[in-house]
Amino acid sequence: MQLSDRELVQRCQAGEMNAFQDLVSRYHQKVYMVILGLLRNREDALDVAQETFFRAYRKINSFQGDSSFYTWIYRIAVNMSIDAQRRQKRNPLDFRASMDGVLEAQHEVAKDPFGDVHDKELREKLVQAINGLTPEHKAVIVLRTIEGRSYKDIGEILGCSEGTVMSRLHYARKKLQGKLKAFL
Amino acid sequence: MTNCENIRDSIGRWLDGELSAGESEPVRAHVAACPECGEARRQLESLQRALRGVLLTEATPIEFMPFWREVQRRINQKRAWYEDFLDWAREVFTAPRIAWGVPAVIVLLLAAVSLDSYFPGTRFGGSRNSFASVESIDAHGRSVALLRENESKTTVIWLYQNEEGENETGEDSSKSGPTF
Amino acid sequence: MKLAKIAPSLALLFSLFLIAQWGVAGAAEKSPQLVQVTIRSILAENKNDEFDAKLKGMEQQLKSLKYRSYRSLKDDSKSVAWQGTQSFDIPGGRTLTVAPQEFQGNRISLKVRLTEGDKPVVDTTVKIPNKGNFILGGPPHEGGTLILSISAAAQ
Repeated sequence: MQLSDRELVQRCQAGEMNAFQDLVSRYHQKVYMVILGLLRNREDALDVAQETFFRAYRKINSFQGDSSFYTWIYRIAVNMSIDAQRRQKRNPLDFRASMDGVLEAQHEVAKDPFGDVHDKELREKLVQAINGLTPEHKAVIVLRTIEGRSYKDIGEILGCSEGTVMSRLHYARKKLQGKLKAFL
Repeated sequence: MTNCENIRDSIGRWLDGELSAGESEPVRAHVAACPECGEARRQLESLQRALRGVLLTEATPIEFMPFWREVQRRINQKRAWYEDFLDWAREVFTAPRIAWGVPAVIVLLLAAVSLDSYFPGTRFGGSRNSFASVESIDAHGRSVALLRENESKTTVIWLYQNEEGENETGEDSSKSGPTF
Repeated sequence: MKLAKIAPSLALLFSLFLIAQWGVAGAAEKSPQLVQVTIRSILAENKNDEFDAKLKGMEQQLKSLKYRSYRSLKDDSKSVAWQGTQSFDIPGGRTLTVAPQEFQGNRISLKVRLTEGDKPVVDTTVKIPNKGNFILGGPPHEGGTLILSISAAAQ
């Protein structure tokens, strides 16, 4: 029978590395996707995702169970991504090639199943527009879009109120719509 | 704010499923009937699709074992003594806290060094020499005493009368002069 | 929300403004133009136990001199230029001449001379804290003892 997150955390706090491995296997892909959405760079996202789980392991004994494990791990992931984005801004020379360039060169761009993103120009404009958002606004857009989280969950992850999530989402969408008016 | 503006502000929450049943119905009905709000809904749905298209298609699955091996390597790696401190510092001294903390510390420091102006005698770092200091004194042949009274931090220059009785004082002559 | 974002910057600007103000005030203090010298003439006696209410602010200083009664005779306050001199009439035909010398480390250096008629009684140079005072006492007066409180404040 599959153990719950809470049980795995308790075993982990008791020193069972296997329990932590199970937790990582459950969440590594989702965490990586969220971080990738924020950092827009595969290598950086992988690095931050691994660092997120490393930090989570070091802090596992401080996890009290006030929130769910996924909220806790996402919170670490988002905070680390926001820090990474701020460092990126301060050191623009470290900026690596955008996702589009890398993926296209490696022919890894999957066929878009949603239909609307068929125009390369729209895609480029959208990526630019997303990158133009502040880390906090990007975070709400990514968590809502990729994870489909409720405002309450997003608020718990980001450590802010539902109202703040709502207004950030509203603002971010308005800003993106403004930049993509001709394409929507 | 017009009704259309109110509705358009709610479309995002409605599409996200964040409105209650009672709140949703008026929005749904208005959007169905109003061409402008219907267009706003279409545009927002289009944006959502475009966002999913960009954000979801990029995330190709990552293999677990290489990922886990790297996490394990980090866990097992010996850390330099200062790295724990730096981690703690990064968590505590976040940018917003520093943004507020720096002006707060400046204001507190200014208040501390200016305290003496508002509450004399409470100079930061203890009372610096608040005694008057006598640099030179010439009593022109008279006896003089230099006294310091600690409680009131007072410097006293006391001129004693000459024994020849140059300054007659009457019955208080024997008691002239402070007795510290 | 915009205000929350810019508030820390506003707070920093305000604190920098405070630093500038403090610096200006400090600079102004460093080069004061005049000195306000105040001389209080007091009669100390052992005849009764009265304490003049006008001397309330100096109670601790005066009571340390161990006289039984203290009475205010005269208060005199004048502005004096640095390196200038100013004379004050003191009860009993005396004159106190004060010459502020310099202002350093928030302390005022004063040259003080007490004369009785033409005769010098005491010459002294005293460094007092800005807005502080010292006591010059001992000359007899009206059956008691004359005490002078000499204070100075840089302006």
